Order: sequence, then structure tokens, then C-alpha cells
Amino acid sequence: MGWLRRFGAFWYDFLVGDRPELFIGPIVVLAVVWASVAIGVPGTVSAAIMVGGVVAVGALSLVLQTRARR
Amino acid sequence: MPLVLVTVVSTFLASAVECVEALTIVLAVGLTRQWRSTLLGVAAAAVVLAGLVVVFGAAIATFVPIDLLRLIVGAFLVIYGLQWLTKAILRASGARAKHDESAIYAAEIVALQAEAPVPATGMDWVSFTVAFKGVLLEGLEVAFIVVSFGASAGMLGPAALGAAAAAVVVTVVGVAVRGPLARVPENGLKFLVGLMLTTFGTFWSAEGLGVDWPGDDLAIVGLIVLYVALAMVAVRFVAVRIESHHVHAAASTSPAAD
Repeated sequence: MGWLRRFGAFWYDFLVGDRPELFIGPIVVLAVVWASVAIGVPGTVSAAIMVGGVVAVGALSLVLQTRARR
Repeated sequence: MPLVLVTVVSTFLASAVECVEALTIVLAVGLTRQWRSTLLGVAAAAVVLAGLVVVFGAAIATFVPIDLLRLIVGAFLVIYGLQWLTKAILRASGARAKHDESAIYAAEIVALQAEAPVPATGMDWVSFTVAFKGVLLEGLEVAFIVVSFGASAGMLGPAALGAAAAAVVVTVVGVAVRGPLARVPENGLKFLVGLMLTTFGTFWSAEGLGVDWPGDDLAIVGLIVLYVALAMVAVRFVAVRIESHHVHAAASTSPAAD
């Protein structure tokens, strides 16, 4: 089981690393965009939600990282 | 800029950054221990990485429907792109130390000196293992970007070509310089690659969910312009935030503050 844990740890570190918000955030944004498409929201609005969500996740991570350094 | 050129440039830059980091490790091992075993380790890692790109790239491009592929790959590109971009913003604003290849090279040599001596004859497995691991771990990020970017754009060949070209260029320059490439603007390259990955990840993942982008492919240009502008603002914002913290810290530790 040790190799399985090491394998999992490697991929966790590779994809999530030390910034979990940058892994979870985009998935949440995509879930919201998927819901907006599913309920028939116009494409322009869904695109705006996507871009706004990505920008918000990046901004949140920067705030968290600069706060951690203070 | 045509998509094929964007693909080649993006994978070239991403690969160049990782190759510079791998070169530091390879040079440290080769110069302090044994070149033959080091180069065998590099070759073994390169074969594994090429195999991963060919097998996974071909399998993904052949068997996964394009919308699902763009959704999954786009999501990973956004995740990866934001990781590179936020780190580059923090480094550009002075909130995080820049990558120092000379310091990493010196630390690697100190670590290697603690290892068992090089055998008089035959294979030096320490050289092989350290070079293999270094190239494989740095190269995995490149392989990941090549497969995801290449498969989504339907341009696995140009993506692999861009990455391979960077490996050749960095190797040639490294051999000529005979030292770590400390003057390569790594952070600037990471900034650009982070922007590219985030832009295409945003576009493809939303497209995979069925979003019709206004202007179709032209939306990519708009996204790049928007993300560049916001990244510049972010660099300034973080720099001001760090500066104000330093001013407050200095004021609170000065005798007048008591």
C-alpha cells in the first residue's frame, strides 16, 4: 500500500501542490458555468461567468498568498 | 497568430523553463561525478517522457470525444496556468524570491558530495538516478502541457516539436556555457506560459461545456489582452501591498512607535 500512497501523494503534489484554492476554484467555476448552460443562460453571459470566475480564483489566491507572507 | 504557431511557441517556452531547471541538475551531477552514467540517466528519462507523450497523446486524441477532451484538458490548463501565473506575479512584484539557478546548482553539488564515491569502473548509479529523476520530474510538467495542449488543439506533433526544440536549444547553450543558465529570464517565461495556459484553458473548458464564445476563436485574442492587463494590475497591486507592509513593519519596530 506504500507505493499507492506515494503515487497518490505524487499526483496530489503535481496537480494541487501548496495552493488547493487553485485546484478547487476552477472546478467550482466550471460547475457554475455547466449549470448556467444547462438552464439556458445566453452564451455571452456563461462566457462572462467563466472569465469572471477564473479572474476571481486568481485574485483570491494572490490575496491568500500575500496575506500568508505578512 | 495561427493556432499552430501559438501551440509551438507555448510548448517551446514551457519546455525551455523546465529544461533550464533540469540542466542545472544534470550539469551538477555530470561535472562532479561521472558524465557517462549521467547522460544515460538523461537518455532514459527522455525515452520515458517521449513514450508518455506518444501513448497518452495518441490515446486521448483518438478515443476521447473532442468536447469532453476540451473540458477536462481545459480545466487542467486553467489549474496549471493559474499556478504558474500567480507564482510569476508574486515573483515579479517582489513578494516571492526569484528562481536562482546558481544557488540551486551550488546546493545540488553540496548534496552530491555527501553521496558514496564514484566507482572506479562501470556504472555510477547515483549519477544515473539523480539525472533520471531530475529530468523526469521537470519533464513531466512539459509532457503534461504537450499532451493537453496538443491533443485539444489537434496539434500533438507541433506541440511535441516545440518542446523538443527547446530541449535542443537549452542543451546547446548549456554545453557552450558549461554552467547553469542563471541569466535566462525564467520568471518572464513562466509569466507568458501561465498566461497562454490560462487563456486556452478558459476558452476550451467553457467550449467543452457548450458555451458559444462571442466572436468564436477571436475571443482568444480578447482573453489574452484581458488577462495580460489584469496580470499587470495584479503585479502592481501585490507590490504596493508588500511595500505598505514593509512601511508598517518598519514603523512598528522603530523606537518612536513605542
